[in-house]
Amino acid sequence: MTFSDEPIVPRRVEDTQPVETDDLDGHTIEELSDYLDRNCLPAIASIDESPACQIALEALGRLRAISLGMLEAEALAEAPRDESWISGIINSIGLDARAGRNIPVQHPSPTAHLTITEGAVRGMIRAAGDAVGGVLVGSCRLTGDVTVPGEPISVDVEVSVLWGTRITEVADAVRKAIYTELLKHTELTVSGINVTVHDVLFHRDEPNDGIELP
Amino acid sequence: MKGVSELAAQPPRPSLDTADDRTLVGRAIDGDIRSFEVLVRRYGPLMRAYATRVLGSTDETDDVVQEAFITAWQRLDELQDASVVKSWLMRIVSHKGIDRVRARREHGDLDTIDLPVPDHATPPRIAEAHSQQEALSQALSGLPEQQRQCWVLKEVAGYSYDEIAEQLQLPASTVRGLLSRARKNLMTEMEAWR
Repeated sequence: MTFSDEPIVPRRVEDTQPVETDDLDGHTIEELSDYLDRNCLPAIASIDESPACQIALEALGRLRAISLGMLEAEALAEAPRDESWISGIINSIGLDARAGRNIPVQHPSPTAHLTITEGAVRGMIRAAGDAVGGVLVGSCRLTGDVTVPGEPISVDVEVSVLWGTRITEVADAVRKAIYTELLKHTELTVSGINVTVHDVLFHRDEPNDGIELP
Repeated sequence: MKGVSELAAQPPRPSLDTADDRTLVGRAIDGDIRSFEVLVRRYGPLMRAYATRVLGSTDETDDVVQEAFITAWQRLDELQDASVVKSWLMRIVSHKGIDRVRARREHGDLDTIDLPVPDHATPPRIAEAHSQQEALSQALSGLPEQQRQCWVLKEVAGYSYDEIAEQLQLPASTVRGLLSRARKNLMTEMEAWR
């Protein structure tokens, strides 16, 4: 009979074998777990050739995969937090640490001493850049001694641009907007504004995130 | 001036909600609270789920995650690579959760003792779970506390044996033993569900 050669029967038997955690042909669950951590390399023949070990390895791998998915699923299933939880966090964080250096501003009266914080200037830069449209400002740096009037300062901003936006045009518009804003509200001597595009943003309805990519 | 007329039709302003992590982290370091708030909304739920697993109940979850975010805000500028902010936040919440666990242990709470799981610990509800994830969730809840913590730190947070030992202030050999028992218990329980 030809069908007696079919390998289906032994495979089925293997599939229904219960997972063994103690009799693993001389190996332990811990060894198998470490083996899995190393992506089963270098190969250990006595594990690879033991059906009991293979079944246990498969079960361990499955558990691991489910563990990660479990938390993500729980996070998704969780009812949205009420706003008080979020405002509780936001109200507890201190803004002082972000003020940065003090930037002097001249005043007609010799007795008046005016400064604007670096943090406030960064806020202006962000707002000016964001207002251009099609672009979102990321981090920004003021390089040079901003505490000394007249010192040349350069501005480095990172931006992400909306997909389909002309990068050179939008970068130019961002530089102009920032320059105009700084000229209007500060006395900084701006020697240059460097715009680095570090990401492209996709519209919300498009498959984005890059998560789906292999 | 073709370029100018094209710019006049202004492209829409992208929303912070869809911004990439690097943009949000960069802005938050510079002091933009709204960007930090987006990070809180984006990763808060996962951090809460994680903290609940480590702590074993939801009683202290809010506090622990809140503490984690406050620390994150203070130390955000230490983050070298903004694209790993998610795992960085998970590590912080892990530390905060374990701090609580240790404090509990120092106060001698009984539920931190590694009680043995009964031989036939498979409650009928595991068989009724709708998904593997739900089944594992229930199986994990049935584990003794330290086994569960070791499992979560190893398999979810990706800590090494030595890191877990350091965090839980247990000898590495104990951690290995706990993990070994956790694995056996979970494998057996999940097999029953399958």
